[in-house]
Amino acid sequence: MSLTPDRDQSRDNHIDFSMVLASAVHDMKNSLGMLLNSLDELRNDREESLGESSRFNTLQYEAERMHNDLVQLLGIYRLGENNLSAHIEEHFVPAFLSEHLARHTPLLEGLGIHYSVDAEDINGFFDDDLLTGVLNNTINNAIRYTKSRILLTACERDGYLVIGVEDDGEGYPEHMQHNGTLSFKSLDFRSGSTSLGLFFASSVAKLHSEGERTGSIRLRNGGRLGGGVFEIWLP
Amino acid sequence: MTDTTKTTGGNIFGKLNYLIIDDFENFRLSMRQMLRSCGAEKIELVAHAAPAIQHCAYNHVDVVLCDYNLGEGKNGQHILEELRHKKLLKRSSLFLMVTAETSKEMVMGAREYQPDAYLTKPINRAMLEKRLAGLLHQRNALLPINRAIDRENYPDAISLCLETLPRQPRFKTWLMKTLADLYYQVGDYSHALKIYDEVLAQRDLSWARLGRGRVLLASGQNDDAVRSLKELIGKHPDYMEAYDLLAEGLESLGRPTQAQQVLEKAAEHSPNALLRHRQLARLASANQDISTAAIAWRQTVNLGTHSIHDNPDHYLSLGQSLSDLSEGDLSEEGAEHADEALKILSRMEKRFKDNESLVVRSKIVQSRVHAGQDRIQEAERTLDSIASELQDEDAIDGETGIDYAKTLFRLGREDQAKQLLGHLAQRFDDQPELLQKIENLLDEPVGFRQKLQARAFNRDGIKAFESGDLDAAVAEFSSALKIVPAHTSLNLNLVQVLMKKYSEGSPDPDLLVTCRNCLDQLAGLPEQHRQYRRYIALGNKLKGMMP
Repeated sequence: MSLTPDRDQSRDNHIDFSMVLASAVHDMKNSLGMLLNSLDELRNDREESLGESSRFNTLQYEAERMHNDLVQLLGIYRLGENNLSAHIEEHFVPAFLSEHLARHTPLLEGLGIHYSVDAEDINGFFDDDLLTGVLNNTINNAIRYTKSRILLTACERDGYLVIGVEDDGEGYPEHMQHNGTLSFKSLDFRSGSTSLGLFFASSVAKLHSEGERTGSIRLRNGGRLGGGVFEIWLP
Repeated sequence: MTDTTKTTGGNIFGKLNYLIIDDFENFRLSMRQMLRSCGAEKIELVAHAAPAIQHCAYNHVDVVLCDYNLGEGKNGQHILEELRHKKLLKRSSLFLMVTAETSKEMVMGAREYQPDAYLTKPINRAMLEKRLAGLLHQRNALLPINRAIDRENYPDAISLCLETLPRQPRFKTWLMKTLADLYYQVGDYSHALKIYDEVLAQRDLSWARLGRGRVLLASGQNDDAVRSLKELIGKHPDYMEAYDLLAEGLESLGRPTQAQQVLEKAAEHSPNALLRHRQLARLASANQDISTAAIAWRQTVNLGTHSIHDNPDHYLSLGQSLSDLSEGDLSEEGAEHADEALKILSRMEKRFKDNESLVVRSKIVQSRVHAGQDRIQEAERTLDSIASELQDEDAIDGETGIDYAKTLFRLGREDQAKQLLGHLAQRFDDQPELLQKIENLLDEPVGFRQKLQARAFNRDGIKAFESGDLDAAVAEFSSALKIVPAHTSLNLNLVQVLMKKYSEGSPDPDLLVTCRNCLDQLAGLPEQHRQYRRYIALGNKLKGMMP
């Protein structure tokens, strides 16, 4: 709605292409939302026959992935427009994590992936919308690469709130493991994976600052499940 | 993870009354299915705003799940505003907005009322259950406080907040926010400020900054408030409430042009907030920026279509702005503005047909629009159609009377206009705001373009006078008076300059004659006029100088 170009602008011959793209992305995102809703209902209605259908799981997984990508794209667009800032509020972290894992439970159960949350009873300061985008994407990613388990963690370390997503897959390839923040230049559009999700996560982390300290992301291998570990550090 | 909500027998879901509002039957049914499987029993389904509001008027509802986009007609935000505005939904009830959008885009539209939570589609049962359980848990923990607020027993609510704070660290933010707001409501600004400062000492949180700005404004520390709000907007350019407050602060500091600029920026960011557009329209009108005012009034009228804030005054103001814009402008654009004014006014008459006094107000403006387009006969005819309503000058209300006088001026019936305004000034001599409007109209009974021109001459004249260039000042004031010959302070300004010139070395008797003429223009100035004492003083001084 707020992204539709107004009449004055379209009267000019000049076309703001990124605005057009953003509007299209916005529409596609909403359509996919409807589609995902229908998939959830379908799964409920036909639980017996669809529960473990791998084709149905793929359908849902890929739709989720597209939806996440579009959400991120819009986020990055607004970032470019300087129109995205973090509305930081206090949240009870364990509740926040389990609410967001709940979105993925039908698919996780369909795929037979075991999931759990291990979070300290702490309050954290962050923008829940932005974090939701990051978490959805990371969980989706973990679903793709894990063998059988996904673990969400939260704890306080060195005065930072650290939220982690761990799996028991092969882990991140060496060139992807890093600490800190990603720049737009580091996106590689030639290879299959653009790391757009990581760029978004890194940008969201950077939007969270407190005094001199800013947030960052870390990718490493190991953790409690021995696979990939994604961490977002928030001051 | 075990499913705690289920094992407790669904008792936190079970006893409550739910209302689902969604225009798609499939969504309604699937939402009901999800709620039922969480343990809910009493669930009402409706498709649109009207039955939803009807239902809330006659039934107690604990949880509303409302889709934002309901197709044609009112959307979810309209429903929320109407329910809260009419007090059909208590603070202790939950309103959840279901949306396909990222919630922040929506928040930006709202100004007064915000839902308790946003649920972003797609929604599945597990998500709904977790989210709702969390919200209900919070609702139950804070219920006594919200009940006290619903009863408007703020002192009670304050002590309940203070009691709850150490016991419920999980809801600390909510409690601090609510507590500071309650202190603000009861006018205890120092305690409110203390809370915000306490929060800000730990962390720079924008809600606390905003609250602090509001308290500073309320306690008259406008400079501090403006500085702090500017900083907040610098950091959070999408925090709309900060713009509203900053504009308020700038206005109270006597900087209405800057205030207008701030609101223009905010309106650009959030095109859906009626109240913000209305505020912008008022400011722009006061600043004589009629084209901006017309745009903002147009937005206000359009956004009012489905809103509880819709009001005939918006239509009338839009009609008046367009009338001002079209006056004496016979170009295509002028004609367009005139047509739009007439259309808006007749739309108002139809939309609010129970309100009979509106017809009079509408025709007064319509007549002026015709006059401004050189259609004098039509203007006269329009005015004649309401002649009987306007006959009794003692029955006309102030605003209508002033607007009527404005139209009379345009029709060249100056004597009638002045006589009417004099009569109104007597009737309303205890209402300073109306008196000021009457004086302004008597001073400047011309279109806004001429008004602005005369004001510019006046400003330059004052500048010239202050820098000692008396001849230039005389020239500027004289030019201004050619446009608005009856302007009180302009005439007095000219008299003052001429007398100074006379006594400072050019004792030309013609100067004093001009002074006399200026003062004669003001003969009959009523005693309650703001410039009356200056008028008398200058008159006496002139007598002393006459040979």
